[in-house]
Amino acid sequence: MQIVVTGAVNALVLSSMYILVALGFALLLSIAGILNFAHGAIYMVGGYICYQFAVGFGLNLWLSLLVSVLIVGLLGLLLEKFCFRAFFGDMVNSIIMSVALIIILETTVNVTVGVYIRSIPQFASGIIRSGAISISAERIVTLIIGGILLLLFTLFIKKAKIGLEMLAISQDPVGAVLQGINIHSICALAFFMGCGLAAVAGCLMGAVFGLSPFMGDFILVKAIQLVILGGIGSTFGILVAGLIIGSIDATLPLFVTGAVTDVVGFGVIVVLLLLRPQGLFGRREP
Amino acid sequence: MNKANRKFSMWKGKTPTKAVIYVGLIIILFVLPLVTRSPYYLHILILTFIYIIATSSLRTIAISGQLSLGHAGFMSIGAYVSAVLAKELGWTPWLTIPLGGLATAAVAVLIGYPFSRLRLIYFSMVSLFFGVAILAVNATLSDYTGGAVGLIAIPPLFASSKLPYYYFCFVLLLLSLLALRRFEVCRIGMTVKTVAQSHWVASSVGIDESNYRVLALAVGCFFVGIAGAVYAHYNLVLSPNGFNLLASINLVIYMFVGGMGSFFGPLIGTATLIIIPELFRGIKEFVPYIYSGIMLIVIFLMPQGIASLLGQVKFWVANVRERKTVRHAS
Repeated sequence: MQIVVTGAVNALVLSSMYILVALGFALLLSIAGILNFAHGAIYMVGGYICYQFAVGFGLNLWLSLLVSVLIVGLLGLLLEKFCFRAFFGDMVNSIIMSVALIIILETTVNVTVGVYIRSIPQFASGIIRSGAISISAERIVTLIIGGILLLLFTLFIKKAKIGLEMLAISQDPVGAVLQGINIHSICALAFFMGCGLAAVAGCLMGAVFGLSPFMGDFILVKAIQLVILGGIGSTFGILVAGLIIGSIDATLPLFVTGAVTDVVGFGVIVVLLLLRPQGLFGRREP
Repeated sequence: MNKANRKFSMWKGKTPTKAVIYVGLIIILFVLPLVTRSPYYLHILILTFIYIIATSSLRTIAISGQLSLGHAGFMSIGAYVSAVLAKELGWTPWLTIPLGGLATAAVAVLIGYPFSRLRLIYFSMVSLFFGVAILAVNATLSDYTGGAVGLIAIPPLFASSKLPYYYFCFVLLLLSLLALRRFEVCRIGMTVKTVAQSHWVASSVGIDESNYRVLALAVGCFFVGIAGAVYAHYNLVLSPNGFNLLASINLVIYMFVGGMGSFFGPLIGTATLIIIPELFRGIKEFVPYIYSGIMLIVIFLMPQGIASLLGQVKFWVANVRERKTVRHAS
């Protein structure tokens, strides 16, 4: 019983973190038409800023989480304005741009903080007990924050006027602009939200698994897996794909060694993609 | 067209100046080791040659409309197959290097047919996962491959000197470039390009789309397998970290920075991004900044890659001249 509950909680925690990062990645892909490989590096920077404020400056942990999200969001605004605006819809040059950003961000962290693994203090310590089952409070808090953010994000996209404008741009940029939607301010907002979500995930994962300058590479692969498996342009698809991949990653290591997990996860994705080449919930391309 | 011309029809349309530049470059690179003799420079050049083969093979796949983001994974197949065969069975590297290339091509054919259903970004992403999964397979077979620790004591191709390696890699580079160029300009290469431009049109005139995609993938992977195998028998140590996601993306960056539209783009891009950062070895920590600085300069000033620079300069000059003549006329 204990192992089932722990496995389920771990699966949900991993899924929610993957989904947070993947949502930002997908937002930029569908609205700005860029493959932002730097999303993993931004997630890493979010974790390190939170670490710096919480441990280096001794700020309250929750406050430093908020500061980290704001700083990384502003970084996102700068990226939109100075780095990516020239390359909207230009796959080749936006890939070069984002890889240059990865290198710059990782090297900066390497040079200033160092390559050693750091750890953000726990957001909530202790263990929650209920009968024979005990779960670390840390994971529950992570799960709750992730769930709330996912809910807010989905409501924002589906209900708010700006969210609907984002949907319009992702469906047809030219048509959206003709309807009087300011594409640049919407893109800036998308960058702010995407980078902010990545920073939240970076802080929470940094508390659970520790920080390293290269932690972004792993989450980047996961984010891309989610987006491709769920289907480009589908929020619901990302949620479903996140649950599938998060469950695989959290439960398979209980039975087999770590490397086999990657092979199985890859196999599942390839089989699902071969059955539906446009992703589980993606629009069929023309 | 006379007979001699037809024989070298791939040079058709080339002006004599271009031929002179190619021949001059080849001669300079042939004579260079006799002049410098420094093992360090030779090492950099050998690595550049090996990576040019890898990047050019990547471009051969890319012209079929499939941008492979897991190319370092294919490179690792060639490297590990050749190294393990030579080490465990004691075969000579001269035999195992081609076998490494063939093994990579075989894997490419196996995965190519299912993958040929996926288009554009979906293919890129699945090939990216493939590159990651190859590393995982590598880790599960750690009895042979050494796992995360790496594979050591690989039999060398030549005795300790770098000079024979230099000439071997250089000749291999020339042969590979000739073969890839030949593949691109022949009828098959043209068909492959057609498939990339519009698969609807290609299917409607009776071209079997997936066969040509798989063919391009197999040809590209054969050469990258060979490059990986040569790298294994040159470096004598293999670590899975050399073939991770960042290595795959680096190959793509080499190609993009050089310019995907030109055959010599991968050559220029690889040489620029390997050799220029090496000039700044004194400040080792900050070399990545220089590397990314080159990338930024290229995308902002030469959006079509460095290979397009000559054409752009011509365009600017023509523009300036035109303005002058207009001013004269008015």
